[in-house]
Amino acid sequence: MVGNLVLLFPVLFPIFAGFVFLMIKGQKQQQIYIFSTILLEALFVIYLCVTESRKLEVWHMSKNVFLFLQTDGLSRFFACLISIVWCLAGVFSLEYMKHEQNTKRFFMFYIMTLGSLIGLSFSGNFFTLYLFYEMMTLLTVPFVIHSGTEEATKAAMKYLGYSIFGAGLALLGAFFLNYYCDSTTFMAGGTLNIALIAGNENTLLVIFLIMMIGFGGKAGMLPLHGWLPTAHPVAPSPASAVLSGIITKGGVLAIIRVAYYLFGAEFLKGTWAQKVVLSLAIFTVFMGSMLAYKERLLKKRLAYSTVSQVSYVLFGLMLFSPLGFCGALLQIVFHAIAKNILFFTAGAIIYKTGKTYVNELKGIGKEMPIVMWCFAIASLSLVGIPPTSGFVSKWYLAQGGLDFGLLGLVGTSILMVSALLTAGYLLPVVADAFFPGKAQEYYHREKKEPCFLMTVPLSILSGLAILFGMFPNGMISKIINISNEIFFMI
Amino acid sequence: MLPFLVFFPMISAFISYIIGKKNKRARDYFCWIATAIVFAASISIEGSYHIDGFCSLGITLQGDGIHKVLAMMTAFVWFITTVLSRDYFQKDKNRNRYYFFMLMTLGATMGVFLSADLYTTFIFFEMMSFTSYVLIMHRGTGEALYAAATYLAVAVLGGLVTLMGIFLLYHKTGTLVFYEIMEIVAQMQDKSQIYGIGILILFGFGAKAGMFLLHTWLVEVYPAAPAPATALLSCVLSKTGVYGILILSVIFLHDAKWGMMIVYFGVMTMLLGGILAVFSIDLKRTLACSSLSQIGFILVGIGMQGVLGEHNALAVDGSILHLVNHTIVKLLLFMTTGMIYFHTRDLNLNHIRGYGKQKPLLKIIFLMGALGVMGVPFWNGYISKTLIHESIVEEIALLAEAGKSITQMKIIEYLFLFAGGLTVAYMTKLFVAVFIESNGTEKKQTKYTLSEILLFMCALLPVIFGIFPHQTQEHIATISRSFVYGHAPAHTIHYFSWVNLKGAVISLSVGAIVYLFVIRKGLTKKGENGEVIYLDRWPEGWNLENQLYRPIILGVLPFLGALIARTIGSITDAIILLCQMYIFNNKSGKVVPKENLYFTVYPQGGKQIFKDNLSKSLLFLGAGFAFAMIYILI
Repeated sequence: MVGNLVLLFPVLFPIFAGFVFLMIKGQKQQQIYIFSTILLEALFVIYLCVTESRKLEVWHMSKNVFLFLQTDGLSRFFACLISIVWCLAGVFSLEYMKHEQNTKRFFMFYIMTLGSLIGLSFSGNFFTLYLFYEMMTLLTVPFVIHSGTEEATKAAMKYLGYSIFGAGLALLGAFFLNYYCDSTTFMAGGTLNIALIAGNENTLLVIFLIMMIGFGGKAGMLPLHGWLPTAHPVAPSPASAVLSGIITKGGVLAIIRVAYYLFGAEFLKGTWAQKVVLSLAIFTVFMGSMLAYKERLLKKRLAYSTVSQVSYVLFGLMLFSPLGFCGALLQIVFHAIAKNILFFTAGAIIYKTGKTYVNELKGIGKEMPIVMWCFAIASLSLVGIPPTSGFVSKWYLAQGGLDFGLLGLVGTSILMVSALLTAGYLLPVVADAFFPGKAQEYYHREKKEPCFLMTVPLSILSGLAILFGMFPNGMISKIINISNEIFFMI
Repeated sequence: MLPFLVFFPMISAFISYIIGKKNKRARDYFCWIATAIVFAASISIEGSYHIDGFCSLGITLQGDGIHKVLAMMTAFVWFITTVLSRDYFQKDKNRNRYYFFMLMTLGATMGVFLSADLYTTFIFFEMMSFTSYVLIMHRGTGEALYAAATYLAVAVLGGLVTLMGIFLLYHKTGTLVFYEIMEIVAQMQDKSQIYGIGILILFGFGAKAGMFLLHTWLVEVYPAAPAPATALLSCVLSKTGVYGILILSVIFLHDAKWGMMIVYFGVMTMLLGGILAVFSIDLKRTLACSSLSQIGFILVGIGMQGVLGEHNALAVDGSILHLVNHTIVKLLLFMTTGMIYFHTRDLNLNHIRGYGKQKPLLKIIFLMGALGVMGVPFWNGYISKTLIHESIVEEIALLAEAGKSITQMKIIEYLFLFAGGLTVAYMTKLFVAVFIESNGTEKKQTKYTLSEILLFMCALLPVIFGIFPHQTQEHIATISRSFVYGHAPAHTIHYFSWVNLKGAVISLSVGAIVYLFVIRKGLTKKGENGEVIYLDRWPEGWNLENQLYRPIILGVLPFLGALIARTIGSITDAIILLCQMYIFNNKSGKVVPKENLYFTVYPQGGKQIFKDNLSKSLLFLGAGFAFAMIYILI
């Protein structure tokens, strides 16, 4: 039992560390403090993830209301991803935030949010999940509101409104689940009480739909996707990187927990509710790409791209098949990597040149070659060109989709259309950056490559984007372990 | 040895880049040595090699039969163009970038040709498309950028459509190994779905090869790329598309319907390429159209493999040999073009008239290539064209034996010979314009560069291949034919017997007629000093890409898509906006709850707000009553 108490540490440590941070003086000391805190946290989380699984129950209130932390396969998967990406984004923001105001506030919340995210991934029942979910929402609002302009305030309010409304919908569903489930502790395969649901299937499906829409809001699924394109452009770039790469995945995690660990794939497979959510996801995939294609502001374009790419994940999840699940989890990782690279790049460009529109980026590849190479690799990965990682996840998603029949076929075709649009909105940026045309080719350009604090995280992520594409089988075997649990194929 | 062929060029790409940063000359030599090593290695490959878990499913390389022939061909062309690149690019900038991507493309192309399953083919095919993009836009002029962007768009579109086909194929058959798919497909009762999948896969490969309807990019990309890159594109990269179509003909082995479709596409490509080439007045553009036309010949051959079924020995040999022969002659022709362009910086026939009149070596090189591609007896193209022609004749004989209608095949035969005639006509036009006509300023060339001498040695190949077909070409065919389950021809073919010569004679006469009566009479006029001026008579608007593809793909579809996406995407925001306007009365920036004396806020001019709200409330009350009535009544 005492051994299990360590589970509290990664959750509470960043929150305390965030407060302590306020007392640190001096820029150098602050930087060292931030880096060491996040690194320590990441190392500890990875340590928890590679050792034996733990369970911890604290603060028991009633039968279904108690804090419960555990480390099952899915928790480890998310916790590892989150802490690694958080660490890299942290390093990047050390440099980026130099040209912003109020960095102290930003970093305090940055450190604290990590705690809530780890709590979210370690949560073992719905109550805990909901608690950390709301905490994550509230702690990330300061990122959006950071610049303090009227636009930022509005965007933050929009983000808050959408998120709270979505979480509210989910909570509504949870009240029903509390009645229909044996317990709201997450169990692979679902905890529905067979005796109670007999005759009430349709009610439960409506509840499922409501919960999906609620949590889907965070993941940028239609109809609650609206906050993404508003909030991302106003937030500082490292913040939009993690908002898009990690926070949206918080919604995805909640969806997996609800769909696979409370309702259970068995109950939902083949129902009308599944088809509705699937159609929503498919349409969101198309809509996001289409609007990104039409958008000229780089960060907004990337935000729309997130809307589309995260819905790939939801598409895979809602197929309720091992292949789709595998594709979805791969897509979570690969999208997190690629989207972080893209937002970092956008940030580096803003930091060095102040340019925000895509048509201003002609020839920028000559000024910051490393940065734009990373952008190119991430673009190829998002489009899904082998041997970058996006190809692998797309392969599994498509194979899962084709098993599903007509709707799956439509979905797969939309994935392809979306890939084409992705190429349409990302590759011209790369082409213009490196090949601005004869007129500007030999024009004297000064080197504007940012310092190693920016290029190193970018290079590491780009390396991962290719490496995971070439040798994804280690990760796939981990995912298959999780999906075997869920689909009872041991 | 197999993974070495694929990955060694990629590694040397990085090495060459690092060397090039320090020393340009050393970089050039390094690239020569690297490509020479690849060529040497390609001779000694055999067996197969599997890399487990690469890109999840793993890739399989195969090093015998047609794979070996194609790998050797690739390595040879790459070696020659690399050696010639040094002279061609000596005035250019960004050479380091060119060499880097050139070597990357070599590795990827090797991967395509050595692939033993569709997964491997696709992975390397995509890599190749992207790395070759940089080669095309090397010059960086507006024209080159435009062409390269088109190339990339076609590559991405084609790649994704093919990928969709591969998804479906894998889902349907559970394997991507060519022969396993073939066995499964052969046992299928209802093939309609598989045909659809085949067409999807054909899309990407056909686009790369320049098949009819997807050919438009080729005509603008080839002229815009630097000559060594064009040579690579025409000699090797377009053949990856042909290789993909060959894979499909393995999957649909001996399937007459599929074969017939490919024949139709082939005939259209062949004719269209020929006609465009006759009209063109730019040296490189003419050769690009010529590539298109020759790919059409190859496609007819591949299609005939399916149409003839078991007895397709002639078609198999013909299509594979024409592929190899076209590579050899186009290498000569495009590199000659490069040498001309290096000095003139222009390729319009009217501007470079008589450039080669006093340059005997260049003249011979070009002539060898031209005679090869024309299909004149004793040159290599004759052999392969004759084989494909004979395969059509054989089908006609078979149909006549079975008592079926032969009209369709007869027409195809005539069109085939006519397209051969067009080849003769436009090659004559080029040769006459550049090497026979005079511009009055030329001097006798006495010094020759290393490039020219090397290219001259390559120019011997078409003749050797043409005069000794049994010792050279048939050998290549014997190695390769097992890939598509071809058998050896039933009896030795006497290439220079009258029966076989007849086709060439017809083509040559058609060519002479077209040259004398169409090109000389219709497409030229006499200039002031008695010189011949070539006219561009191709109607402006006759361009499939600008008239049809671009407006639809870049205009109509995105507009419709964005309209739908925006409308549905903004429903939520619209509802929120409505709520803000009506519930919170956001206009004044104040929340005005009604009916409560203590909480109602009356700012300046508050009566107005009150009035507004009253009318709105009444309106909603009315609407509510109306709904209630409807509900009660229904």
